Amino acid sequence: MKIKHSLFTRRRFLNSMIGGWITAMGTAFLAPIAKFVFPPNKEPDEVLLPKSDYENMEPNTVKLFSWGAKPGILKMNDDRSYTAFVAVCTHLDCNISYLPDQRKFFCACHDGWYDENGINIAGPPPTPLRQLNVAIDEEHFIITKDKGNE
Amino acid sequence: MNKLNIRKWFDDRLGIDEISAFMTKKEIPQHKHTIWYYTGSSILIFFVIQILTGILLAFYYKPTLELANESVAYIVNDVPLGWIIRSIHSWAATFMIALVFIHLLSIWITKAYRNPREMTWISGVLLLVISLAFGFTGYLLPWDELSLAATKVGTDIPRSIPIVGTWVTKLLRGGEDVTVETLSRFFTFHICVLPIFILMLLALHVYLIQKHGSSLPLDIEKKNIPVKSIPFWPNFIYREAIFWLFLLGLLLTIASLFPHHLGSPADLMAAAPEGVKPEWYFLFLFQTLKIFPAKILFIHGDTIAVLLICLMGVLFFCLPIIDNKPAEKKGKIITYAAYVFILYAVIMTVWSLL
Repeated sequence: MKIKHSLFTRRRFLNSMIGGWITAMGTAFLAPIAKFVFPPNKEPDEVLLPKSDYENMEPNTVKLFSWGAKPGILKMNDDRSYTAFVAVCTHLDCNISYLPDQRKFFCACHDGWYDENGINIAGPPPTPLRQLNVAIDEEHFIITKDKGNE
Repeated sequence: MNKLNIRKWFDDRLGIDEISAFMTKKEIPQHKHTIWYYTGSSILIFFVIQILTGILLAFYYKPTLELANESVAYIVNDVPLGWIIRSIHSWAATFMIALVFIHLLSIWITKAYRNPREMTWISGVLLLVISLAFGFTGYLLPWDELSLAATKVGTDIPRSIPIVGTWVTKLLRGGEDVTVETLSRFFTFHICVLPIFILMLLALHVYLIQKHGSSLPLDIEKKNIPVKSIPFWPNFIYREAIFWLFLLGLLLTIASLFPHHLGSPADLMAAAPEGVKPEWYFLFLFQTLKIFPAKILFIHGDTIAVLLICLMGVLFFCLPIIDNKPAEKKGKIITYAAYVFILYAVIMTVWSLL
């Protein structure tokens, strides 16, 4: 049925009403679903390591710690200072290891290499390893995010 | 009620006679490329095997950090016949994906996607994507060192896609990193989300094949002479059955002689083991990523590689629309592209294994 002077029929009006309603309902459900499937970010701002566990390291050796869900690597340099890295390759996220005799970090997934300062030197890694700040108080090594290198 | 009446009772309600009449009337053309028609139903056979063995494995598998690897070891070592059920599940995946590739390539080369079968091709490519997703999600579930490292790499790849990439990685992993959240998510994808999609697409795909019938290869269609054909039921099914039996025998032999390896439990903090490789069907992509340099001009090599792979995927998806003049020169070039693709994939796969 079409009323005189009307632009569309009653059937078309009702169809667009139900179509619009279904679309609106669907979209309204999408936003909460999208929110639900992305869990909160669990990267820590700071990690405290008991000093007793890490202070007896030798120069040119490393020890692992947990940086949230990622491994972190604490390395003692030749001058007995400490450097910390997120021990994850900047290429495709594999966990890396330190080879003390070659003084290099190595990623076995795609043959990526970094020097002892975490600078990418060979293979596919596009950027240096992510460095973390190390501070030491009486009881702890305090590992914090490096603001300039996130 | 005698036997005849029982049959009639069901036929009145289900329309069995219509279906069997359709099956007997359906004709399969006989020509030199007929062999390729067998690949479709063989994929279905392996799909059914995957459903059955998958359900059996899910009875014992536990997708948690502590128990994932342990429960697979329990299936393999303690559950009666567990080792062969798991081995069949992983080998049938290999057979199924190999057949999906062969099926699609045969359609590419014989140009069976020509008008009006474009949607059959498109649903087929989506089925390939889902089959690969099944393989990718299933690979993580044993939760051993290699599967963890391969999943870390695989889920990090989308990150190189500008704008949406980081979100895709987060969505797949259930967070920034591959953790137990990823395991739960992959298990849900593997046994719930992907099965729903594959069944829906399979229904569409099979419906379209019935609607349009078997395609004739271009060179035979051009000759315009009548082609011999045989009824689908029982003549063609019986011939297919021989092929299915051969494949089943091969599957069981390989699955019992070479049971799938289970590595030591994944450790989220340990360095990646050497020799990290994805399943064989991802090796050519893995090698492609590996040979790209870290930087091309100012852009990350990975970004370029991933975008190129995505572009190739889109072209592959749109093949019937691009190849709109199959009988002309452009159509021939597109057929040669199939051989170039096969050559590229074989070379890259062999290279990655060296």
